[in-house]
Amino acid sequence: MEEGVGERYGIGYLEERKLIQRWPQPIPAIVSLVLTLAVFYATWWIFQDPRGWLRMYTPYVGYMYTRWWLIMLIWMVYIFNYWPFKRNWLEKSHPLVKGSILTAISVLILYVLIEGFFTGMFGNLGLAYFNPERIMKLPRMTEFFAIEYASLACLMFAAIASWLSPAWVVACEEVPWQNLGQPAKGISILVMTFFLSTLIYFMTMHSHMGILYYPWQYFTSIAPPYWEKFANTVSGNFHVAWIMCCTVTVWIVETIWERFPFSLIKTNWLRRVTAFFGIIAIAWAMHFFLYFAQELTWGPAIRGTRLINAPDWRWLHVGEMAVFFLVPAIFITFYCGNWPKRFSLPVNVLLRTAITIAAAALLYIFYYKISHDFLGTQKGFMHEQQFPMIPTIWLINIWLAHHWFMDNWPAWKMVPKTADEIAREHAAKEAKLAEVRWTPSLGWGLGIGALCGVAIYFITLKILPWMYQSITVIK
Amino acid sequence: MSEDKGKFSRRDFFKGAAMGVLGGAFLGMGVYSYSPWRKAHFPEVKRKMTDIGACKSVKVTNISETSWFKNAVLTGDIKGAGGLLVDQYTYNWPPFGDGTGLGKGSYAKGIAKIMHLLPNNLEEAWSITEKLSVNPDNAGGFAALVEVEEMNGKKHKYLLDSGWSYKWMDECFKREGIDQMLKNREIEALIISHEHFDHFWGVPVTFKYDPNITMYIPDTFYPEGLQYIRDAGHKGKLIKVKPGPKGLNPIIPGVATLLFDVPIICRVYGEQAIYANVKDHGLVSVTGCCHFGIIQFAETAFREFKYEKDQLYGIYGGLHISPFEDWDPKYDDLVISLGKYGFQKVGCNHCTGVICAKKFIERGYPIQKGTARFRSPDPAYLGNGDRIGFGVEV
Repeated sequence: MEEGVGERYGIGYLEERKLIQRWPQPIPAIVSLVLTLAVFYATWWIFQDPRGWLRMYTPYVGYMYTRWWLIMLIWMVYIFNYWPFKRNWLEKSHPLVKGSILTAISVLILYVLIEGFFTGMFGNLGLAYFNPERIMKLPRMTEFFAIEYASLACLMFAAIASWLSPAWVVACEEVPWQNLGQPAKGISILVMTFFLSTLIYFMTMHSHMGILYYPWQYFTSIAPPYWEKFANTVSGNFHVAWIMCCTVTVWIVETIWERFPFSLIKTNWLRRVTAFFGIIAIAWAMHFFLYFAQELTWGPAIRGTRLINAPDWRWLHVGEMAVFFLVPAIFITFYCGNWPKRFSLPVNVLLRTAITIAAAALLYIFYYKISHDFLGTQKGFMHEQQFPMIPTIWLINIWLAHHWFMDNWPAWKMVPKTADEIAREHAAKEAKLAEVRWTPSLGWGLGIGALCGVAIYFITLKILPWMYQSITVIK
Repeated sequence: MSEDKGKFSRRDFFKGAAMGVLGGAFLGMGVYSYSPWRKAHFPEVKRKMTDIGACKSVKVTNISETSWFKNAVLTGDIKGAGGLLVDQYTYNWPPFGDGTGLGKGSYAKGIAKIMHLLPNNLEEAWSITEKLSVNPDNAGGFAALVEVEEMNGKKHKYLLDSGWSYKWMDECFKREGIDQMLKNREIEALIISHEHFDHFWGVPVTFKYDPNITMYIPDTFYPEGLQYIRDAGHKGKLIKVKPGPKGLNPIIPGVATLLFDVPIICRVYGEQAIYANVKDHGLVSVTGCCHFGIIQFAETAFREFKYEKDQLYGIYGGLHISPFEDWDPKYDDLVISLGKYGFQKVGCNHCTGVICAKKFIERGYPIQKGTARFRSPDPAYLGNGDRIGFGVEV
């Protein structure tokens, strides 16, 4: 296909669709929340719940499929722009039909990827620990743990891919393939992000798997790993934490931040590079802060202890806490029209961030109060099999499928925007960005705001232990 | 432009302020949160130095550490039932088998088949449950006899846990003479470390010989566990130990139990451990599974208790590191760190795992090796029928 000519598939589909509310807000948001939570609970019971039908929450098997399903959705929509489905089909099909077909395909690709690529190919031709049958050859190894280990390796890979796949679109703006048609663009970005994921996997997760063996695999992985002293653990959870923060930051930048502040940079290459590394910098700030927050509430971690006091669990919990922020951020964008929008872009972003933080804190408390009763997980913050990332990402996956594949049906109706509407929207967006430019007043605001930001940070440090003591999360 | 030259614009100021607040907060988060300065926020550890007294010696006899005989069978059941979070009472493991198959059972349906036989006719109860349960031959159990000598020479015997299989535990009790000790009421109390099948489900074997024995259980038992104690024929005093340092439960001078508030696999919550302060030696830990971790035990002891020579002296029991011979890098954190706590005599077994015991030995820790008798798998740790003494040679 020639570039820019012919079938566009879903290129620009998300920006060029107009979602019309069937009722005034907040009714559509509430209807969507109730509906998607019902689907969440039904599917949780069928697939994940330890008391339910398939009981995939072993936990790593269910965790692996949840993480990779998220990536399948991102691949299909963000990287392949719904290819090979034609634009006309996307616009004309009933959301239920479209949702069912696209979701089924995402699950099929997911299954082929796990069983065909990771277990079959990678596990047989490359790294043995991706294949449970090969792990079973270890002395004393049981089938259950062989499957758990292989699933762990797959999901650690998924953590990286779930950051890099959307980052190449959101931060790097698909460069240098942005003008290519599908599927050439999709394949190019897929190969690039998969390649980068593999590199980062080897540098961050491979050593974790290497020291799962007895004796440590000194000659094929770095054991003990290079991060041991800095992270106070040999566990790869240290990397899981910051990589999860990267995933969350990418989506926060894409949703409630509308790619701000990076969108202020006019020079293309500078904006893309700054966005890519800026997301990592924000993620590392989040990574350190969420670890510190645990030290402030539960005391300093002690190496060698188990669970809540152990550094490895604390790092993992950083990633888990980060995902709690993603849930409200996605909800605000998908179902609340990125409310509020009435102020300038920076003020809107700040308000949405504040709402997201408050909602995430409430969700965190709510989750730990009810998850053991409603989701069949173990009671308590810390447990080797307590992974809040599984239900939270499972819910996010359902929202992504609902928003991307079903156009928020039934509370919204999708109609394509006219060329005029698209042009007006672009102009409004440009105007919003143009409004944020240097003036002395802005400079004063920036300086005083920065001082306030630092002050808010230190006040938060003071009130966190008090808050934790004041709120009984788990009886 | 939203302001004239030299004129203050409130709108621009707020735009800048919004960006500044986000930037300043992230700057603080990134620069300060993992810096050495953050340690100023940690409260100083104040040692409470609670005095539990001192005893002369502690001797432990390993009645059984083989909770199950084949890891592959047990983990196969766990896999088949849906993983490590499935409620233990639904597995259809003995003695609560109801014939409906793996993962489909319940306490109520299972106990109804055998309750009328408890605790006196355990042979028949076990033969019924064997036919209705999943992999009954794999069931073993954990139990230990703890003998403490007070400073005045008075001796006390306690039973830590009562195993799982009625058949296996009865054999083990007879092998070590526990049946006679219970009949003679020489054993003062049954201390149940936690509600897990392999530590608790064999309680009718203890009640068969002494239904009036005093029991110490974690206050965190689920309703099924509490009902089982009644259904199994217990008639003695039941003491529920509460979690946390405030729930310290002194038993005799030098010996106390403490409940750790910890979630455990197969829907179990809370584990009780024994602390013994041995004169001229130091603090000894006797645990069932130590799900809270031995270093947590040591750190808690350091914060809460006064003990001889300020020395962490000995360990007996499962250390819950690699119960299924699985491994994780975080276990290496424990193996690497344990050395700095200075334990001088370590009698580990059961859920410690053979791999872990070997790693301890490789690092030069004072592991007491066993004899690998009575179906214990490896001499790397203390096996069934082996003994260890703290403050006394055995």
